[in-house]
Amino acid sequence: MRSTFSAIAAAAGLLLAAAPAGAHHSFAAEFDRGKPVELKGTLISLEWVNPHAWIHMEVKDENGKASKWDCELGSPNLLMRNGWRRDTIKPGETIVVSGFAAKDGSNISNARTVKTGDGTRVFNAGSSGDPGTPGASTQ
Amino acid sequence: MKLYLSSAAVIVAGIFCLPASAQWFDIQKKGVPRTADGKPNLAAPVPHTADGKPDLSGVWLGDQWNPPGHRPNPAGASRPEPPAMLPWAEKVFAERRANGGKDNPEARCMPQGIPYASTLPYPFEIFNAPGKVVVDYEMYSLHRQIFTDGRQLPAEFQSPSWMGYSVGKWDGDEFVVETAGFNDQVWNIDLAGHPHSDAEHVTERYHRIDYGHMDVQVTINDPKTYTKPWTLPTMHYTLLPDTDLLEFVCEKNIDPQHMVGK
Repeated sequence: MRSTFSAIAAAAGLLLAAAPAGAHHSFAAEFDRGKPVELKGTLISLEWVNPHAWIHMEVKDENGKASKWDCELGSPNLLMRNGWRRDTIKPGETIVVSGFAAKDGSNISNARTVKTGDGTRVFNAGSSGDPGTPGASTQ
Repeated sequence: MKLYLSSAAVIVAGIFCLPASAQWFDIQKKGVPRTADGKPNLAAPVPHTADGKPDLSGVWLGDQWNPPGHRPNPAGASRPEPPAMLPWAEKVFAERRANGGKDNPEARCMPQGIPYASTLPYPFEIFNAPGKVVVDYEMYSLHRQIFTDGRQLPAEFQSPSWMGYSVGKWDGDEFVVETAGFNDQVWNIDLAGHPHSDAEHVTERYHRIDYGHMDVQVTINDPKTYTKPWTLPTMHYTLLPDTDLLEFVCEKNIDPQHMVGK
């Protein structure tokens, strides 16, 4: 059982890893690979705009205090070529965003993957900084 | 096991089977050679224009971005190693590295220049026109003219530019493009920010291998910056026969205000 699960998880991981990342800007100038974040909350809006689409979401801490986070995705062009549409996730939906927080301490992260709250759908978010980006040596 | 299998299958299906739209891509275009199952035959022969030259026109994407039907082990995925830099260039490059590339004009939606624009995860489209070849790059909707009317590169440039000034001619089956006249703002070589001077001269050799594949070899000759000419690993491209370029206008760029660099 375990081997079946891990093999499929590995296959899904490979798919994610193989999807392209955007160039646009250096990951290292804005985000901190030492500050991974996993944000679970409610989607306020998916802003479908170049050069980066943005997830605006509300995240509650353990005390129930809400804060707003902005998560950078790849460009709408890249997302569409990867199968995303502007209504792939909808306002009010519970989502989980995994990425890295901004260096400047603001409530901004890049997004590497986006999951629906029930875990049934996983999307590569195509933001900057994935290994393999040409000239990515500045990371 | 059944539970694991079905939930994992849903995840994989979620990645694979998102609804396709025929608005801009996945269009079955006419004139594309196809195999019996209707898929584009990327191994078909190189098409030619009316004057007998290989026809480079079409939508192309670098193999390092995994376009369908790409060749294995794309050279473009490896990082090019430059020859030794002159001291001023070493200093500029070290500063750019130390700042995490935050000053790259690309992050402010300025053009990438050549050859960097040809390495992005977005396709570009080549068009044949009388007296010129035109290349449109999807990212930032950039437009480039390569003059094929026999003119020479100007000896000096009154108005240096982001994409440079290009002339092209055929050498057997290879389309050879010479570009110069870049401005001093553009980081035209790569995201890492390898510098250039006003003496920079870029040579691209385009070679269509078959219907679906093309190689481009790039040499950067900039004696004021590098101690010898720098030939990059040959870039491999695959044709995207059933798609079109999308618009890419940087209408809301909020990254620079959060770029702290180090």
